Amino acid sequence: MATVMKTTRDVKGVGLSIPRPDGPEKVTGQVQYVADIKARGLLHAKLLRSPHAHARILRIDTSKARALPGVRAVLTAADIPELKRKAPTRAHAVLAIDRVMFVGHPVAAVAADEPAIAEEALDLIEVEYEVLPAAVDPLQSMQPGAPPVAEAGTEADTSEAMAHGAVTVAKTEAKPTKAVNISQQSRLHRGDIAKGFAESDVIIEKTYRVPMVHQGYLEPHAVLAQWDTTGFLTLWASTQGSFNTRSEVADVLEISENRIKVIPVECGGGFGGKIRALCEPITAILARATGRPVRYVMTRREELEAGMPAPQVIIRLKTGVKRDGTLMALEAETILESGAFSGAVLAVSAVFLASMYKWPSFEVRGFEVLTHKPSIAAYRAPVAPQTIFAIDSHMEQIARALGLDPVEFRARHLMREGDPMANGQPWQSNGAAEVLRRIAEHPLWKNRAEWAAGSGKDGHGLRGTGLALGGWLGGLQPTGATVRLNPDGSVSVLTGQVDIAGTNIALAQIAASAYGVDIEHVRITTGDTDSAPVTGLSAGSKTIYTVGVAVMEAAKDARRQTFEVAAAELEASIHDLEIEDGKVFVRGLPDRVVTLAQIGKKGNLYMSKVQPVLGVARPAFSQQAPAFAAQLARIEVDPDTGELTLHAFVVVQDAGKAINPLGVEGQMQGGAVQSLGMALTEALNFDDNGKLTNPSLLDYRKLTAADLPNIETIIVEVPSPAGPFGARGVGEPPIIPAPAAIANAIEDATGARLTHLPLTPERIALELVAQGARAGISLRSGVTSGIV
Amino acid sequence: MAKQTLKCTINDDAVEVLVQPYTTLLDALREDLGLTGPKEGCGTGDCGACTVHLDGKPIASCLMLAMQVRGRAVRTIEGLGRADALHPLQDAFVRHGVPQCGFCSPGVLMAAAALLAENPHPTEPEIRYAIAGNLCRCTGYTKMLAAITEAAGATSAREGA
Amino acid sequence: MRRFELALPRSVDDCLKTLAKRGADAKVVAGGTDLLPQLKNGLLRPAFVVDLSGVVLLRRLGVNRQGLRVGAAVTAREIELDPRIQKDYPALAESGALVGSIQIRNLATVGGNLCNAAPSADMAPPLLALEAEAVIAGPQGKRRVPLVDFFQGVRRTVLAPDELLVELVVPAPKARSGGNYLRHTPRRELDIAVVGVASQLTLSNGVCAKARIALAAVAPTPVRATAAEQALEGQPVTPEQIERAAELAVGAAQPISDQRGSAEFRRHLVRVLTRRTLTTALARAGH
Repeated sequence: MATVMKTTRDVKGVGLSIPRPDGPEKVTGQVQYVADIKARGLLHAKLLRSPHAHARILRIDTSKARALPGVRAVLTAADIPELKRKAPTRAHAVLAIDRVMFVGHPVAAVAADEPAIAEEALDLIEVEYEVLPAAVDPLQSMQPGAPPVAEAGTEADTSEAMAHGAVTVAKTEAKPTKAVNISQQSRLHRGDIAKGFAESDVIIEKTYRVPMVHQGYLEPHAVLAQWDTTGFLTLWASTQGSFNTRSEVADVLEISENRIKVIPVECGGGFGGKIRALCEPITAILARATGRPVRYVMTRREELEAGMPAPQVIIRLKTGVKRDGTLMALEAETILESGAFSGAVLAVSAVFLASMYKWPSFEVRGFEVLTHKPSIAAYRAPVAPQTIFAIDSHMEQIARALGLDPVEFRARHLMREGDPMANGQPWQSNGAAEVLRRIAEHPLWKNRAEWAAGSGKDGHGLRGTGLALGGWLGGLQPTGATVRLNPDGSVSVLTGQVDIAGTNIALAQIAASAYGVDIEHVRITTGDTDSAPVTGLSAGSKTIYTVGVAVMEAAKDARRQTFEVAAAELEASIHDLEIEDGKVFVRGLPDRVVTLAQIGKKGNLYMSKVQPVLGVARPAFSQQAPAFAAQLARIEVDPDTGELTLHAFVVVQDAGKAINPLGVEGQMQGGAVQSLGMALTEALNFDDNGKLTNPSLLDYRKLTAADLPNIETIIVEVPSPAGPFGARGVGEPPIIPAPAAIANAIEDATGARLTHLPLTPERIALELVAQGARAGISLRSGVTSGIV
Repeated sequence: MAKQTLKCTINDDAVEVLVQPYTTLLDALREDLGLTGPKEGCGTGDCGACTVHLDGKPIASCLMLAMQVRGRAVRTIEGLGRADALHPLQDAFVRHGVPQCGFCSPGVLMAAAALLAENPHPTEPEIRYAIAGNLCRCTGYTKMLAAITEAAGATSAREGA
Repeated sequence: MRRFELALPRSVDDCLKTLAKRGADAKVVAGGTDLLPQLKNGLLRPAFVVDLSGVVLLRRLGVNRQGLRVGAAVTAREIELDPRIQKDYPALAESGALVGSIQIRNLATVGGNLCNAAPSADMAPPLLALEAEAVIAGPQGKRRVPLVDFFQGVRRTVLAPDELLVELVVPAPKARSGGNYLRHTPRRELDIAVVGVASQLTLSNGVCAKARIALAAVAPTPVRATAAEQALEGQPVTPEQIERAAELAVGAAQPISDQRGSAEFRRHLVRVLTRRTLTTALARAGH
């Protein structure tokens, strides 16, 4: 059911809640993901993975596997000459050469007629390992003398930081320590913290810990690879960036980028986990070895054991304030565990700790640490939820300790436009203060005392309310788009931007508004790496912010070209022309008309001298548009079991300009639930040998519909200077505040301050038991709770 | 290994197909019968993406062997509605902007359809429990609740209930 | 999953014949909700699988004044929804309702839950508290084993490779009986018990005539808390008695610490859930 609307040059297309046009395909099961694609002669790939976190490979014997009928190829690193001995990135670590660096590190690859045969072939591969000491705990791994993780000479990788438009940090002043597994360091400082602490009345020091978590996309990594007889490779990939995939595969295989075509197939969720190449190189190599199309789909177990999760984050935070609430000093260490390869956006964590609020003096040290675990990748606002968990929890505790209103306390000290962030960069204009103001007006906040009054009565649990504020600076990346007038007057938009968040409909709305036609006459296509203009990742909340500008400018370019043709036709000035209802006419002279179809045909007729209308834009960007979200949780805690019931949850978010409010709401709700998962239930649990103990979705717990209330959304619009129609990125802010909001609500309800995620019933219950023991109250009788 | 003959009904059609004995129902539907609507999200029954109806009841097709449905009736998302004749649930999902990546949608719709067939006027908690076996990572479930609630009204209105 | 052959017996006898031949390297499948994940993880690699879905007898569910006869292949969902079980054996219905999700409950069988013999098997505690018996068919005919003797260790039961669990027999509780099953899980659905407790009380002349308390996930097998039971019997059931029984139940637990829960938390939960299930069982007994 299309929504027909008129558009003119004012923003009528923009701002409408239009359902995504691919909705009917998705609800009927017609849309195709990689694993749905049929191919003649298809072979199935499986990988043999290391059971050890750190070991030397002494011997691999694949002879029995090769002999199994139905097996078409068995490869080890010895069969792949282009593999680099020192794999600079995880994508290059296609198969271990002589050393495995994490449990799950691939050691051999099989392609077979059926998945079951491929699995049996893996059983027949014999590998002899010499197990080596492994660095499994990041704090120990940071010490000199820890077992080294990286091959000597592999550099720290900050490309992820750039892609997410994080923040820049001046070259480190810190003296490098001798700890070989510290792969990135930073130090930010301002003023004199010793003096600041000396003059403080209240000092609070806590350590916050967030384990590694998985991005949790429901469709596992999947890729289909096929070579043609000229040595040209086609990859059908579930990816957030077809051009990035192409570049990485080209680099690993040492072939040129124009010998690879990456077709971005519908992606069943990415959230940052499908940016870097992972399965594509080995699948391509198997396809080359067998001369057949090969498909590799990761199992859920492989995803959890050997995917590319979010880093573990450990933040020690110490603050000093005066009794009247004046901020004095902040000291922090943020440690990001990156697994076997570098790549965490350390700068985000270090900068955000001291940039949300105005600390006159601070000292923040950041460390990225390597361990023998699967290397990390981005996860929706990488390290921001973990960092805001620390700083926002801390601000709440300070407010409570001083008896100050938690919202006023944050608002009072919030950095504003122009204030220097911790790295000296001035804050761009943003809606943080507005978002905070709006959430404080919500009845759930205003009436929180009434909710709390029911705590422990009539069989109810302990009741509380908490909120938190966080934001994201937004990524930037150059991009391109074309807008074309077809011979029938319809409009076609082409980008290379993978649509993972429903951005295509919003881009079409932008094109419709900027060109001057009804949205139903605009069709947008996501091209592959052969057909589309080069573009960046669908990540960093930057698709509308950057590609939206490209589409807008290309549409304006096409509109100008259209007017040039019409002006010649109508003998008028281009400045006097309008487009309405598919016609170009002279303002005030409705009879002097030429239709878009006529213009379109003119640019296409045999022997015509009229140029076709092809609007092109290829912008690059320098100005970020920070976007903030605040979240509020109303909770009830069973004091005996620690079970937490989320009664209500609100997201207030600054979208700048909501191009498609329906889509923006979906991003706010989805991001909030991911945030709540990090807060309440999710953790990748590794044992002392670096082995994952919860490699299934039974024990890696994502929230179900039964665990949640409706997520209420409130969109605030503080326009950005440079975004299309004032839009800001909306994908990442909503994943940020919930862990802090929940921790704050738990303290409000129970008095217990928890600093280690996830905030499980066990942690809550045992903390209450300890609290009761400290207060001399036994919970055995159930007297304190009122619950039998 | 010798294949076995599976005879059953799928989406109201009588079907006879040769399958490997170790093939799951999910794989038989997807690979042998061309019905790629049901998805594999985990393979162990923990995500609901493979939900289909077996004799009208929602089940995890990744946990059944294909031969276990011999003589029985299976319905997949392809048998719920078509693009030109959407089931009220599918129509409501589209209009409420539910599908984002879309990977969970077939499973959720089958779970919701089974709910409405058994309980035409579910409460919010009943809906939440009915789809609690379907993980979604994109939407946060809120719009699904609104769509299913609306479709429940529409379905019973349609049937004059 | 690796390759295997599949047998499709139509009767218990057919099945026994097949198990007699192939029992050693064969696995039986009913709902598949425990077996298939284990096959996919490579924990089990049978060359031969025997499908029970064609053996109609195993799906029979009968209720009369003597009690309940539940075929081994009756599903958790059927147990959850059967109004007779809800009325007279509520702890059992409650446990069925908690297994996995609806999509799993429509497949998972009570027999599978028991034969898989995970310490956390949800349907075991209510059946133990209701003093159920397992009816086992084998080459020598049928034998009955009280459920309390059925479990031997983690994932181990008394079943020989050539035997098949065919039904559970549950005696009808006396008048003025009540039961309840509660478990703690981090999520509302799709989860597995950190601790599960079933309590069943029968009152007579103002005192507790019979008390049965069974625990899941706190020992290698589901276990009865017999000291707690004995402390309750012969006394009126008061909050203080309940509290004492809850404390004694903790003594019956030998929990391990694993990622699902620490031993300390599990002991704490045994106390809490025993207290709560006894309180509900008492109310249901019509006090």
